[in-house]
Amino acid sequence: MMQGSISNRIRTLRFMNGEMSQAELGQRIGLTRQTIAAIEAGKYSPSLEAAFRIAQVFNVALGEVFQWDVKTNPLKAS
Amino acid sequence: MSYREKIAWLSLIAMAVAYGPYFGFVGRGPGSWEPLPHLHPLGLFAMVSIVRMLILGVGYLYLRLGSPREERQPLDERDRAIEHRSITAAYYVLMAGMILVGCFMPFSSAGWTIVNATIFWIVASEVVHYSVVVASYRVQASS
Repeated sequence: MMQGSISNRIRTLRFMNGEMSQAELGQRIGLTRQTIAAIEAGKYSPSLEAAFRIAQVFNVALGEVFQWDVKTNPLKAS
Repeated sequence: MSYREKIAWLSLIAMAVAYGPYFGFVGRGPGSWEPLPHLHPLGLFAMVSIVRMLILGVGYLYLRLGSPREERQPLDERDRAIEHRSITAAYYVLMAGMILVGCFMPFSSAGWTIVNATIFWIVASEVVHYSVVVASYRVQASS
Protein backbone atom coordinates (compact mmCIF):
# COMPACT_ATOMS: atom_id res chain seq x y z
CA MET A 1 0.00 0.00 0.00
CA MET A 2 1.20 3.50 -0.79
CA GLN A 3 2.31 5.33 2.32
CA GLY A 4 1.79 9.04 2.77
CA SER A 5 0.28 11.79 4.79
CA ILE A 6 -2.08 14.67 4.22
CA SER A 7 -0.82 18.19 4.71
CA ASN A 8 -2.80 21.38 4.34
CA ARG A 9 -2.47 25.12 3.83
CA ILE A 10 -5.46 26.19 5.85
CA ARG A 11 -3.44 28.41 8.18
CA THR A 12 -1.92 30.25 5.20
CA LEU A 13 -5.26 30.53 3.44
CA ARG A 14 -6.89 31.91 6.57
CA PHE A 15 -4.13 34.50 6.79
CA MET A 16 -4.59 35.42 3.14
CA ASN A 17 -8.32 35.85 3.70
CA GLY A 18 -8.14 38.65 6.20
CA GLU A 19 -6.81 36.56 9.09
CA MET A 20 -10.04 34.60 9.21
CA SER A 21 -10.43 32.93 12.61
CA GLN A 22 -10.76 29.18 13.06
CA ALA A 23 -14.16 29.77 14.65
CA GLU A 24 -15.38 31.77 11.64
CA LEU A 25 -14.16 29.16 9.17
CA GLY A 26 -15.77 26.43 11.26
CA GLN A 27 -19.03 28.32 11.44
CA ARG A 28 -19.13 28.75 7.67
CA ILE A 29 -18.73 25.04 6.97
CA GLY A 30 -20.53 23.56 9.96
CA LEU A 31 -17.53 22.40 11.99
CA THR A 32 -16.40 23.39 15.46
CA ARG A 33 -13.34 25.56 16.11
CA GLN A 34 -11.63 22.56 17.72
CA THR A 35 -12.16 20.46 14.59
CA ILE A 36 -10.66 23.19 12.39
CA ALA A 37 -7.69 23.34 14.78
CA ALA A 38 -7.30 19.55 14.59
CA ILE A 39 -7.46 19.62 10.76
CA GLU A 40 -4.91 22.44 10.60
CA ALA A 41 -2.57 20.53 12.89
CA GLY A 42 -2.92 17.43 10.72
CA LYS A 43 -4.44 15.44 13.56
CA TYR A 44 -7.79 14.89 11.92
CA SER A 45 -8.54 14.22 8.26
CA PRO A 46 -11.84 15.81 7.27
CA SER A 47 -14.46 14.14 5.13
CA LEU A 48 -14.30 14.80 1.42
CA GLU A 49 -17.38 16.99 1.73
CA ALA A 50 -15.84 19.11 4.49
CA ALA A 51 -12.63 19.39 2.47
CA PHE A 52 -14.57 20.69 -0.54
CA ARG A 53 -16.43 23.15 1.69
CA ILE A 54 -13.14 24.49 3.06
CA ALA A 55 -11.82 24.95 -0.47
CA GLN A 56 -15.06 26.69 -1.45
CA VAL A 57 -14.76 29.17 1.44
CA PHE A 58 -11.29 30.17 0.22
CA ASN A 59 -12.42 30.02 -3.41
CA VAL A 60 -9.57 27.74 -4.43
CA ALA A 61 -9.26 24.20 -5.79
CA LEU A 62 -9.18 21.32 -3.34
CA GLY A 63 -5.57 20.57 -4.24
CA GLU A 64 -4.54 24.04 -3.11
CA VAL A 65 -5.83 23.32 0.37
CA PHE A 66 -4.86 19.70 0.88
CA GLN A 67 -1.82 17.87 -0.43
CA TRP A 68 -0.96 14.20 -0.37
CA ASP A 69 2.72 13.79 0.53
CA VAL A 70 3.96 10.40 -0.62
CA LYS A 71 6.43 8.71 1.69
CA THR A 72 8.98 6.75 -0.26
CA ASN A 73 10.00 3.39 1.15
CA PRO A 74 13.82 3.50 1.61
CA LEU A 75 14.05 -0.28 1.12
CA LYS A 76 12.27 -0.15 -2.24
CA ALA A 77 14.12 2.98 -3.34
CA SER A 78 17.54 1.44 -2.90
CA MET B 1 -10.33 21.44 26.42
CA SER B 2 -13.53 21.18 24.38
CA TYR B 3 -17.00 21.20 25.93
CA ARG B 4 -17.59 17.57 24.93
CA GLU B 5 -14.32 16.48 26.49
CA LYS B 6 -15.33 18.22 29.71
CA ILE B 7 -18.66 16.36 29.64
CA ALA B 8 -16.82 13.07 29.15
CA TRP B 9 -14.53 13.86 32.10
CA LEU B 10 -17.57 14.74 34.19
CA SER B 11 -19.21 11.41 33.33
CA LEU B 12 -16.03 9.53 34.24
CA ILE B 13 -15.72 11.36 37.56
CA ALA B 14 -19.40 10.78 38.37
CA MET B 15 -19.00 7.06 37.72
CA ALA B 16 -15.80 6.82 39.75
CA VAL B 17 -17.33 8.66 42.72
CA ALA B 18 -20.62 6.75 42.63
CA TYR B 19 -19.72 3.24 41.52
CA GLY B 20 -16.20 3.05 42.94
CA PRO B 21 -17.34 2.83 46.57
CA TYR B 22 -20.35 0.72 45.52
CA PHE B 23 -18.24 -2.01 43.92
CA GLY B 24 -15.72 -1.67 46.74
CA PHE B 25 -18.52 -2.46 49.16
CA VAL B 26 -20.30 -5.24 47.27
CA GLY B 27 -16.99 -6.75 46.19
CA ARG B 28 -16.22 -7.71 49.78
CA GLY B 29 -18.85 -10.43 49.64
CA PRO B 30 -22.58 -11.04 49.95
CA GLY B 31 -22.68 -9.78 53.56
CA SER B 32 -25.71 -10.23 55.72
CA TRP B 33 -28.33 -8.99 53.30
CA GLU B 34 -31.81 -10.32 53.85
CA PRO B 35 -32.87 -12.93 51.28
CA LEU B 36 -36.11 -11.28 50.11
CA PRO B 37 -37.19 -8.78 48.87
CA HIS B 38 -33.59 -7.56 48.62
CA LEU B 39 -34.35 -4.05 49.81
CA HIS B 40 -30.88 -3.45 51.25
CA PRO B 41 -28.87 -3.94 48.01
CA LEU B 42 -31.63 -2.28 46.00
CA GLY B 43 -31.55 0.73 48.32
CA LEU B 44 -27.77 0.90 48.08
CA PHE B 45 -27.90 0.83 44.30
CA ALA B 46 -30.64 3.48 44.25
CA MET B 47 -28.54 5.70 46.51
CA VAL B 48 -25.50 5.29 44.25
CA SER B 49 -27.58 6.10 41.17
CA ILE B 50 -28.97 9.23 42.83
CA VAL B 51 -25.43 10.35 43.78
CA ARG B 52 -24.33 9.86 40.19
CA MET B 53 -27.31 11.81 38.83
CA LEU B 54 -26.67 14.63 41.31
CA ILE B 55 -23.01 14.90 40.29
CA LEU B 56 -23.98 14.85 36.62
CA GLY B 57 -26.77 17.40 37.10
CA VAL B 58 -24.64 19.88 39.05
CA GLY B 59 -21.69 19.29 36.73
CA TYR B 60 -23.74 19.84 33.57
CA LEU B 61 -25.16 23.04 35.01
CA TYR B 62 -21.71 24.28 36.01
CA LEU B 63 -20.21 23.48 32.61
CA ARG B 64 -23.15 24.95 30.73
CA LEU B 65 -23.03 28.21 32.63
CA GLY B 66 -19.24 28.37 32.51
CA SER B 67 -18.84 27.63 28.79
CA PRO B 68 -19.42 30.21 26.08
CA ARG B 69 -22.26 29.44 23.67
CA GLU B 70 -19.92 28.88 20.71
CA GLU B 71 -18.35 25.96 22.56
CA ARG B 72 -21.70 24.24 22.89
CA GLN B 73 -22.26 23.70 19.19
CA PRO B 74 -24.07 20.65 17.80
CA LEU B 75 -21.97 17.57 17.01
CA ASP B 76 -19.87 17.92 13.90
CA GLU B 77 -18.32 15.13 11.82
CA ARG B 78 -15.26 14.75 14.10
CA ASP B 79 -17.46 14.57 17.21
CA ARG B 80 -19.64 11.96 15.50
CA ALA B 81 -16.57 9.93 14.46
CA ILE B 82 -15.26 10.00 18.04
CA GLU B 83 -18.70 9.05 19.35
CA HIS B 84 -18.92 6.18 16.87
CA ARG B 85 -15.45 4.90 17.80
CA SER B 86 -16.13 5.09 21.54
CA ILE B 87 -19.53 3.40 21.32
CA THR B 88 -18.04 0.59 19.22
CA ALA B 89 -15.32 -0.02 21.83
CA ALA B 90 -17.90 0.09 24.65
CA TYR B 91 -20.15 -2.32 22.76
CA TYR B 92 -17.44 -5.00 22.64
CA VAL B 93 -16.77 -4.62 26.37
CA LEU B 94 -20.49 -4.88 27.11
CA MET B 95 -20.87 -7.94 24.88
CA ALA B 96 -17.91 -9.69 26.50
CA GLY B 97 -19.29 -8.91 29.95
CA MET B 98 -22.80 -10.06 29.12
CA ILE B 99 -21.50 -13.34 27.68
CA LEU B 100 -19.48 -13.88 30.84
CA VAL B 101 -22.41 -13.04 33.10
CA GLY B 102 -25.08 -14.84 31.11
CA CYS B 103 -23.24 -17.95 30.00
CA PHE B 104 -20.67 -18.68 32.70
CA MET B 105 -21.72 -17.07 35.98
CA PRO B 106 -24.95 -19.11 36.38
CA PHE B 107 -22.73 -22.17 36.93
CA SER B 108 -20.89 -20.63 39.87
CA SER B 109 -22.90 -17.69 41.26
CA ALA B 110 -26.43 -16.57 41.94
CA GLY B 111 -28.63 -13.68 43.03
CA TRP B 112 -27.06 -10.32 43.63
CA THR B 113 -23.62 -11.53 42.63
CA ILE B 114 -24.92 -11.90 39.09
CA VAL B 115 -26.86 -8.64 39.31
CA ASN B 116 -23.77 -6.78 40.50
CA ALA B 117 -21.64 -8.42 37.84
CA THR B 118 -24.14 -7.20 35.23
CA ILE B 119 -24.03 -3.67 36.68
CA PHE B 120 -20.23 -3.87 36.74
CA TRP B 121 -20.01 -4.67 33.03
CA ILE B 122 -22.50 -1.94 32.15
CA VAL B 123 -20.41 0.55 34.14
CA ALA B 124 -17.21 -0.83 32.62
CA SER B 125 -18.56 -0.32 29.11
CA GLU B 126 -19.55 3.25 30.01
CA VAL B 127 -16.06 3.87 31.41
CA VAL B 128 -14.57 2.58 28.15
CA HIS B 129 -16.97 4.77 26.17
CA TYR B 130 -16.02 7.99 27.95
CA SER B 131 -12.34 7.05 28.19
CA VAL B 132 -12.14 6.60 24.42
CA VAL B 133 -13.90 9.97 23.99
CA VAL B 134 -11.39 11.69 26.30
CA ALA B 135 -8.41 9.93 24.70
CA SER B 136 -9.59 10.81 21.19
CA TYR B 137 -10.01 14.49 21.99
CA ARG B 138 -6.63 14.50 23.76
CA VAL B 139 -4.85 12.91 20.81
CA GLN B 140 -6.47 15.30 18.35
CA ALA B 141 -5.97 18.40 20.48
CA SER B 142 -3.83 20.82 18.55
CA SER B 143 -1.98 22.21 21.57
